[in-house]
Amino acid sequence: MPPSPETVIEFRNVNKRFGATTAVDNVTFTVAAGETISLLGPSGCGKTTTLRLISGFEDPDEGTIEIAGESMVGKRPYERNVGLLFQHYALFPHMTVAENVAYGLKHRHWPKAEIGDRVRDMLRLVQLQGFESRRPGQMSGGQQQRVALARVLATRPRLVLLDEPLSALDAKLREELRLELKQILTAVGSTTIVVTHDQDEAMSLADRIVIMNRGRIEQQGTPDEIYMAPRSAFVAAFIGRTNWFHGRISSAPSDGYFRLTTEAGTTLAIRDPGAVGDDKRSICIRPERIELVGAESAAGKSGDNVLPGQVVDVVNMGAELHYIINAADGRIMIVEPNREGARVRKGDGVKLQFRAEDCVVLPQDAA
Amino acid sequence: MNGRLLDNGFRLLGLVMIGVILCFLLTPIIVTTVMAFDARAYLGPLPPPALSLRWFAQFFSDDYFLRGLSTSVQLAVLSVTISLCVGVTTAFAVERASFAGKEMLISLFLSPLLVPPVVTGFALLLFLSHLGLINGFARLLCGHIIITVPYTIRATLAGLAGIDRSLTEAALILGATERRAFWDVTLPLARTSIVSGAIFAFAVSMDDVAVSIMLTDANTFTLPVALISSMRANFDLSIAAASVMLMLVTLTLIVILEKFVGLNRVIGQGVFRS
Amino acid sequence: MQAGRGSLPLLLPGCAVFLGFFFLPMAGLFLESFRLYVPGSIGSSANAPLTFANYVELLTPAFASFFFETLRVSLLASLAGLLFAFPLAYWMTRSLSARWRAIAVGFFVTLMFLSVLVRTYALELTFGAAGPLRPLLLSLGISPNGRGYIESLVGAGLLHYIVPMATLTLLGTIQNVDPRLVDAAQALGAPAWKAHLTITLPLCMRGLLAAFLFAFTFSISAFVIPMILGKGRVLFISNLIYNRFSEIADYPSGAAISIVLFAVALTIVYVMSHQVLKRWK
Repeated sequence: MPPSPETVIEFRNVNKRFGATTAVDNVTFTVAAGETISLLGPSGCGKTTTLRLISGFEDPDEGTIEIAGESMVGKRPYERNVGLLFQHYALFPHMTVAENVAYGLKHRHWPKAEIGDRVRDMLRLVQLQGFESRRPGQMSGGQQQRVALARVLATRPRLVLLDEPLSALDAKLREELRLELKQILTAVGSTTIVVTHDQDEAMSLADRIVIMNRGRIEQQGTPDEIYMAPRSAFVAAFIGRTNWFHGRISSAPSDGYFRLTTEAGTTLAIRDPGAVGDDKRSICIRPERIELVGAESAAGKSGDNVLPGQVVDVVNMGAELHYIINAADGRIMIVEPNREGARVRKGDGVKLQFRAEDCVVLPQDAA
Repeated sequence: MNGRLLDNGFRLLGLVMIGVILCFLLTPIIVTTVMAFDARAYLGPLPPPALSLRWFAQFFSDDYFLRGLSTSVQLAVLSVTISLCVGVTTAFAVERASFAGKEMLISLFLSPLLVPPVVTGFALLLFLSHLGLINGFARLLCGHIIITVPYTIRATLAGLAGIDRSLTEAALILGATERRAFWDVTLPLARTSIVSGAIFAFAVSMDDVAVSIMLTDANTFTLPVALISSMRANFDLSIAAASVMLMLVTLTLIVILEKFVGLNRVIGQGVFRS
Repeated sequence: MQAGRGSLPLLLPGCAVFLGFFFLPMAGLFLESFRLYVPGSIGSSANAPLTFANYVELLTPAFASFFFETLRVSLLASLAGLLFAFPLAYWMTRSLSARWRAIAVGFFVTLMFLSVLVRTYALELTFGAAGPLRPLLLSLGISPNGRGYIESLVGAGLLHYIVPMATLTLLGTIQNVDPRLVDAAQALGAPAWKAHLTITLPLCMRGLLAAFLFAFTFSISAFVIPMILGKGRVLFISNLIYNRFSEIADYPSGAAISIVLFAVALTIVYVMSHQVLKRWK
């Protein structure tokens, strides 16, 4: 089936094994023109192997990889017109910045006259005008990263691969460059795949996120979908912070809500429990969806869950306040914006309130 | 209190030992250098009453030594050139491949370093005689090639190991074929190590005695062999002059090595002679 | 990355050189050591029968004494070399500024590069029987021509190479030992000498063993040093091989001794690197 003209890369049912380990297990995804997706997951999840399969440094055992409709079977990396930004930049230390950026242009046989202009344009794009004759060894990490980016984008590749683009930088620099990177990629209109283990990087750079774990795709979706509607405990725990409740669906639905009873005896109102074999469920609720209410406040409307607890710790993170509460089912974390400082102190008795609609219901994982 | 006494005692002992060993290492060198300028025609006690260049003149007018020197230099240049070609190609071939016996293959290629040089020379002599090769220079060349190749291989391997794999991959993804990536990235970055290997090989070839003495014949001999015969026959100071010359050659090599490669790199890679 | 097939032709020159200049000759040597030698001829004749006689001959006390002398002098020289090199390397690492250390390193590298002939001649000139120290030695009651003195001189000759080499090896080893460990030990009450004995020394074991390995294999294979400094009175195994070859033309015997020497060197390397070094992982 020919892909629609906007699909830049189609990765279909790809398997890759190294000895006894399956690094990539039946992975399928596509990327449309102009889109930025992120392959996100812990180390060993297969994202780097996927990157190397796309760029041509590894060959798949099964499955197809098509770029712009062309099959990549047997194609060496230099025949793919794919750009790759290495995690540690891989700038040629014995060449100047200009020679580095021009390297791809030379080997794709751009006419000599145009190469000089193109190099200058790219350096201007990454805000390194005038750096032509410097050497990588004389530049800071952030500057090197920009040269690497210029080198990648110079040849106008159909697909741009970024391997942990910001991980080698310190935290402050990372935030600054993240925005710049996004602006540059949008300006150029490139189709991009970002490989990372850092969820902040993925959430901020990508239009769609593909979460991988142990060689498989756990879930694909927009950052919002992934965050608000995780489909497995792994995804829920990997992105953002979570609070967990584990229990059984206890009674038939009444007033539109199901009930879940935990081992500690707490009953929670939830929405659709999902069609899983047994009645065991895990509930995931995000810390910012829980409200801290006074111990004396009455229960809310139907569909509101109200639990008692005791404040164990109050952490002032500056922009946010974190409350750690001891409840019947264990530690609960609540996050709220810091408007007027902490409202409670350690040791206070409080009530937690959250809506059934905010509870994400998941099958209970063996883990 | 006892501990402190012992501490000081040991520290003193350590310093004394360091002083003794440094003296021991330096004294023969200094004595030889001084004696090389001795004006006397015989070997007398220190210090020499007058200085002169007579022994240097004698060395340079001795046809025996000069022939040896010429042969040594020719052999060194030729064998190092061939060793470089063989060593670099071998190192590249081994480094790129990744198969089970790779470590063993490398050990195999470095094994001549473990064999006593006399044995290497002897074995080569028997073999080449069997093949009917009796030309002295050719035999010496074979010997010098086999003793220098492990150094070029080892130096090149060390240099290649220092090249980040992602640099070659970066070249490939930017559009260079494997061959172009080799010329653009791998070779320039390995260049310093290859040069240091060549310098080591040169020093090894110029200095070799054991292998050369087995393969030499009446007409073709190296400078070290000439010096040794001279030492056994007539222990005079012209050899001291030769020694000073050789010291200068060594110093020159070291300076070149330091400028080109940096001595710390040399030590770190353990490429020095063993 | 693949490229396994493509590198095969690259291996050809190396394989040809090693086969032709090393492996086949060594195999030939091995074979020659089993050939019968008829006194008076040069080497073995073409169809000489195979025999163990050359090896049996080595079991005699005459040969064994050469063998043990080589091992003894080599062992003592190697140990002495390490004994001197360790404080030297320690001092260079801890007490010298980076600049002076670089100069010292340069000095030792130069020493190692220096032609073995130059060093050996220098030692013979300085400490030998005809040298300027002769009156001093005689006044001390040492006979410069005595066997004990000559043996020591050969050992000194070995030492002159071993000490720079071991020092350079140990530099890296000692640099890897955190000096604060010794400080911690002293803060816990151990005097400096004990701290070094129980902490620095064990941590340097691998480097010390590696240096010893280099020194010992170098020493037992030594040729020039015992030849010049030994003056024919002290013979190492390499000299014995040369004598068999040049003076008697008994190639099979020379071959047998060569094989034995080679086997000993290999065994030592194997034992040291696999067994002993493993213990000090």
